[in-house]
Amino acid sequence: MRLTLLLFENVGELTKKYANLPERYIKRSMEQVYWKTPNAIQYLPRTVQRKKFRFTTNRPWTYQFLQQNERGTHRKKVFVEPILEWSIFRGDRVQVLVGRDKGKQGIVSRVIQERNWVLVQGLNCHMRFTGKDKDFPGVAVLSEAPLLVTNQVSLVDPSDLLPTKIEWRFTEEGERVRVSERTGRIIPMPLMADETHDYKSKSAYKESPKDTVESELTKITFSPTLRTFEMDVMNEMEKKEENVTNVADVPS
Amino acid sequence: MVLTMYLSRLVLPLKWTRAISTSVVNNGKRNFRKFLLHNKRGSRSFKEERKKLKGNEPTDVPVYHYGVRPTGYHDAKGNFIAVPEMIPELMVPDLTDFKLKPYVSYRVPDVVQSEFTAQDLFDAVYSRKIVEDFKNNKLDSNGNPTEPSEEEALTPEEAKERARRTGSDIFEY
Repeated sequence: MRLTLLLFENVGELTKKYANLPERYIKRSMEQVYWKTPNAIQYLPRTVQRKKFRFTTNRPWTYQFLQQNERGTHRKKVFVEPILEWSIFRGDRVQVLVGRDKGKQGIVSRVIQERNWVLVQGLNCHMRFTGKDKDFPGVAVLSEAPLLVTNQVSLVDPSDLLPTKIEWRFTEEGERVRVSERTGRIIPMPLMADETHDYKSKSAYKESPKDTVESELTKITFSPTLRTFEMDVMNEMEKKEENVTNVADVPS
Repeated sequence: MVLTMYLSRLVLPLKWTRAISTSVVNNGKRNFRKFLLHNKRGSRSFKEERKKLKGNEPTDVPVYHYGVRPTGYHDAKGNFIAVPEMIPELMVPDLTDFKLKPYVSYRVPDVVQSEFTAQDLFDAVYSRKIVEDFKNNKLDSNGNPTEPSEEEALTPEEAKERARRTGSDIFEY
């Protein structure tokens, strides 16, 4: 199986969705190709590139990620439990089950699928000091620590606000929803789950001058004619070239 | 195999034996990193040797252009003759009052269109006339029209000539 595909598959679906970046860009910005065979017939297409990355709260296309995965840095492998059905999304109400804030409920602010992490707003925090200097003690910043989706956090049933296990089931309309196993109540998908870097929700997107509008996009202006693309273009420009040096006649 | 070769060397120390790569270590002889020696690459002696060859077999040491396409050709003496028609001309249409923009708004629903095949093009161009001719009995015994329109009278050679007249290079072979 192609190496680049394997590396890129480690990046979670939700990460790509939130970033709203082209997948090719994420793949390209992540990969660190040290050497590539030249594009000649005697070479097989081989690359020497970094295979193992350490995923953190820094997103794969950022400079901080590159710094953490610099050439030559080897980190111990982090074993991540593969989750088939991801159930916790951005904006979900969850209860923290471990740590200082055990028993408290909060809303998920970030989801890092590559490590099975979830960051809950204001919970499981610690203080860190940024911008430290010789004289200056630094600015105190409260930052959340990530929690594992599997056993450190639990979705909350909206009917009684208690933690519950959930199951993915289908409604009568055919919609796939999360259902609380204890009460049977459907846990709706939060609105923040649709959010991306570019918009809060698709319907709330503000169109910019460079965006094509729906009315213009759905118009059909194509009328089939018996012309090649070049003939069509020339017809538009009203040029009639008759004395053209045919490339095939040029002596090689 | 390596061991036996070393032993043979010990027995006949003055004889130079030519070693053959048969052991596992030499299986990695696939490092061709230094073998693309085009243009200015290679040592001076290598390039001098190559210059001598150039007159006899020019195809052996062609100049590598890195994928840049030529805008002319070299004559028998080696002079480069520029052909203005080989320089690509960008035909950019006038974009005033053009409503389609480079990006698409996120609010737009998915537009699904079926593939426009050659069959669809044929139907669009010829089908109406064929149906009319059939109704008015203007088709002869073979099914060809008795009063062909401009498109129907077109032969394949004429059609190809029309396409080539644009000076495009899609028919280059």
